[in-house]
Amino acid sequence: MRLPDTVTGSFLVALGAAAAYGGWLLPPVPGQPVGPNVFPLVIGTGLALCGLAIVFGIGHSFEEEEELIPLEDGQAAAAPRPQGKFHGLRALLPPALLLFYVVAADRLGFIITAAIMVYVTSTALGAKWRLALPLAALSPFAIHLIFGKLLRVPLPAGLLPAPW
Amino acid sequence: MLKTLLEAFALISTWEVIIAMFAASVYGLVIGSLPGLSATMATALLVPVTFYLSPIAAIATIVAASSMAIFSGDIPGALLRIPGTPASAAYADEAYAMTRKGQAELALGAGVWFSAVGGIAGVLSLMILAPPLAEIALSFSTFEYFWLALLGLMCATLVARSSPVKAIAGMFIGLLVSCIGIENPGGIPRFTFGITDLFGGIEPIPALVGVFAVAQVMRAMLTPEPPPLPRRKFGSIMAGQWLLTKKYHWQMTRGNIVGIIIGVLPGAGADMAAWVSYAMSKRFSKEREKFGTGHVEGLVEAGASNNASIASGWVPSLLFGIPGDTIAAIAIGVLYMKGLNPGPTLFTEKASSMYAIYLMFIIANILMIPLGIAMIRVAAYILLAPRSTVMPIIMLCCAVGSFAIGNNMFGVVTVAVFGVIGYVMEENGYPVAAMVLGIVMGTMVEQAFVTSLIKSDGSILPFFERPVAAILAAMAIGALLWPVMVWVWRRVKPVQTAAATSR
Repeated sequence: MRLPDTVTGSFLVALGAAAAYGGWLLPPVPGQPVGPNVFPLVIGTGLALCGLAIVFGIGHSFEEEEELIPLEDGQAAAAPRPQGKFHGLRALLPPALLLFYVVAADRLGFIITAAIMVYVTSTALGAKWRLALPLAALSPFAIHLIFGKLLRVPLPAGLLPAPW
Repeated sequence: MLKTLLEAFALISTWEVIIAMFAASVYGLVIGSLPGLSATMATALLVPVTFYLSPIAAIATIVAASSMAIFSGDIPGALLRIPGTPASAAYADEAYAMTRKGQAELALGAGVWFSAVGGIAGVLSLMILAPPLAEIALSFSTFEYFWLALLGLMCATLVARSSPVKAIAGMFIGLLVSCIGIENPGGIPRFTFGITDLFGGIEPIPALVGVFAVAQVMRAMLTPEPPPLPRRKFGSIMAGQWLLTKKYHWQMTRGNIVGIIIGVLPGAGADMAAWVSYAMSKRFSKEREKFGTGHVEGLVEAGASNNASIASGWVPSLLFGIPGDTIAAIAIGVLYMKGLNPGPTLFTEKASSMYAIYLMFIIANILMIPLGIAMIRVAAYILLAPRSTVMPIIMLCCAVGSFAIGNNMFGVVTVAVFGVIGYVMEENGYPVAAMVLGIVMGTMVEQAFVTSLIKSDGSILPFFERPVAAILAAMAIGALLWPVMVWVWRRVKPVQTAAATSR
């Protein structure tokens, strides 16, 4: 997901300009010189200027290159796993699962949704089913016990209500 | 004074507080010791739990968990060379070099001992500094608050150890996020795009959880698993610490003082304290050549420094509601929730609660010694837990915790969105801490700014007319110009050395 500075900088210029314009459109407080419009205007302008500076590479010399930790003797190098074309997209799995929770929790209930989330995350991080399956079966109940039972968070019951 | 102290004792000697503190300590130690799970994340995930506790117990959990997590970040740093928290990163290499020399006990013992000492020094500074500063703060007007908040934001960008331009951009993004909602000078919906959930604005806590926890799970998806910890038998951990204290008492004191000063500065926290102290220790050491080869001196100073900053970081939080670092930012949220609104009057009206906070800090730091030793001994087992079991649980806590904050699903959406934002920013070198402080302080900065502008009739001059405001303004602008000066200096220096060698 490492993007060139020109891309992120240009995005910031656009975002800043949009914010400044959006702020400018807001109505002022009657009888006052300043209102809700001033702050977005200032921030948007600042953000756009920062974006411009980033596009032109100002301040780049301050960035520290990530230090690669050299392998010690006796510490075998991990074999590079074969990386598919969509390897980078795996990073999007956690937020996708959270959105899945938002959509599904009310219908399926907390226990089932949580079990699916745990199983998928665990497998994606390289766990075998022998580890992932018991984890997915037990951890939702533990979390439900802490948050639902002890702290009284109204977790949705859905298809499979918790046994307490 | 004695009466308030007794009241404070009564406040904290309830079972709820004691259990909460003990549980939070263990929790902080475990989370802090797991590589990649930072002290900030430990504290953020704790917030939903604090909803259901009494005010003092809620603050007790935050105090205990954050102090412990900062120390236990040293454990994987020393044993694996992977700092558990960013605050341990400054000296992880040094500690690891000591472990390779067979001095793991000494390194970790120094971590526990000097962390505890630093923590207690930090509390003492909090007790001594806060009341007189509160006196001064009573006369602050919106101009001073504006500059103080700006100084905090600028410090946060200086700490970032990345491109200052990107850090400032991150800060602006955070401020922009804080613009969302109807809580603005005009009371009109701003940047809500007609979405009702956005009317209330973006809650800082789900945003924090997203940026620090979800983004970390996302990163784990792409990075290889850290190596397992080699099993080892530890000798006595505290042996030799007293000798070290005597030998390096000056370094320890200097570390404490630097930590306290950096903690008090709004916007700069434990990470920066550790880096600065380690660098100072190296600069002034008599045995500079030993640094990097497993020399305990830097560990003493930096370990004493980062824990001192944790406690003194509460000074700006309690006085002005301006967080010293991201952990303090969370603490402020909890303070507001529990009716202990930060401000100078807190020290007169709720004096016993303040004393209770001091006492809890002292207890947490004393508790750190036995619990820390126990933690070092069992660390090998805890670090055996594979990421594939820890991360799914973190995910569940993110979902449930963010839901619990407002009992609505929008919190979960916020966490997911900020997870992506945090991940993308971090990958591209934009420091997220600056954004987080922007989100937390945005409303306050805007209020102070707009009120000041209305008072001054749109003129900029009154921002500099009051003496304290002028000083704070000079500091804030100095912080803004600092990177420029460094850049110029770097440009000039090679020219000079080149000239010197050519002669």
